[in-house]
Amino acid sequence: MEIFQQPTVPEAAKNTSATKDFELVAEMLRKDRKATAKFVALYSDVIYRYVWLRLSPRADLVDDLVQEVFLAAWEHLQSYRGSSSLQGWLLGIARHKVEDYYRSVLRGAESLTDVDPEGLLAEAELGIEASLDRKRLQDKTQRVLENLPQAYRVVLLWRYWEKRSAREMAAQTGRTEKAIERLLARARGQFRERWNHA
Amino acid sequence: MHSGVPQEQFFEKLSQEVEPSGAVRASAPARLKSKIYSALVCRQIASGPLLSLTQTYAAGRGLCVFEQLVRIAPVGERWESLNLCHVCHARVLAERIERAPIFWPNCPYVDFHRG
Repeated sequence: MEIFQQPTVPEAAKNTSATKDFELVAEMLRKDRKATAKFVALYSDVIYRYVWLRLSPRADLVDDLVQEVFLAAWEHLQSYRGSSSLQGWLLGIARHKVEDYYRSVLRGAESLTDVDPEGLLAEAELGIEASLDRKRLQDKTQRVLENLPQAYRVVLLWRYWEKRSAREMAAQTGRTEKAIERLLARARGQFRERWNHA
Repeated sequence: MHSGVPQEQFFEKLSQEVEPSGAVRASAPARLKSKIYSALVCRQIASGPLLSLTQTYAAGRGLCVFEQLVRIAPVGERWESLNLCHVCHARVLAERIERAPIFWPNCPYVDFHRG
């Protein structure tokens, strides 16, 4: 039988919720199956929701990616030190997984460096109609994003909802910053067209 | 009525106001939770035995009826550290049916399906 040494709670984890997180991790590392079930029950909803929102409308990819998050968490659980909440730590892994997906889409996107004159027109002003309540704004945003080509949708999500700069996105995809900016301009242009006619 | 703003500001404001999708489920499907749990336990057992049922029980955890049987039977620690769920029909049902007809207490799959 494998001998497991109970880790001591580090300084960073010495408040109530952090201690609970750290204890749960320690129990999982002891391979306590019930702790593993608790881990899934506690965190699967929040991770699922985050991944769903960031991959929308590719619901077909959500389940696999959520599972990947949990398996990656298990692989790296030894490195959890309690300096952030377990939920925050898991969301960090989920964010990496989502960005892996974004990266794969943008790397595979056709000729990002091609100039599309339509998309490079001077950026017109866009408006959020004052009469739109949040629900309708939400629906309209979702509708417009869903109807965009995949690369345009992903680049907008990555830039504005994940708040990554064009430079960071370029570094992660191996594209030039200028190519990402062009893609963003085209994506914004397409979004604008659809938004104004939605 | 429109209050026009430059596109960059528009997107920054929009991303603060709303999520990119409104039709999100409040919770992960029970089938997915079941699959994740099964996959995690498989990964755990791949690097050595699970914590024995006696130790799990001593730590204050509830055991399902099948785990209790194995715990009290004179079968040795090796059996107690096996992944019994792997051969349980509850797992099979829970991974395939969203509202699986499984009801006994202290089964993680039942708990996932109860939400």
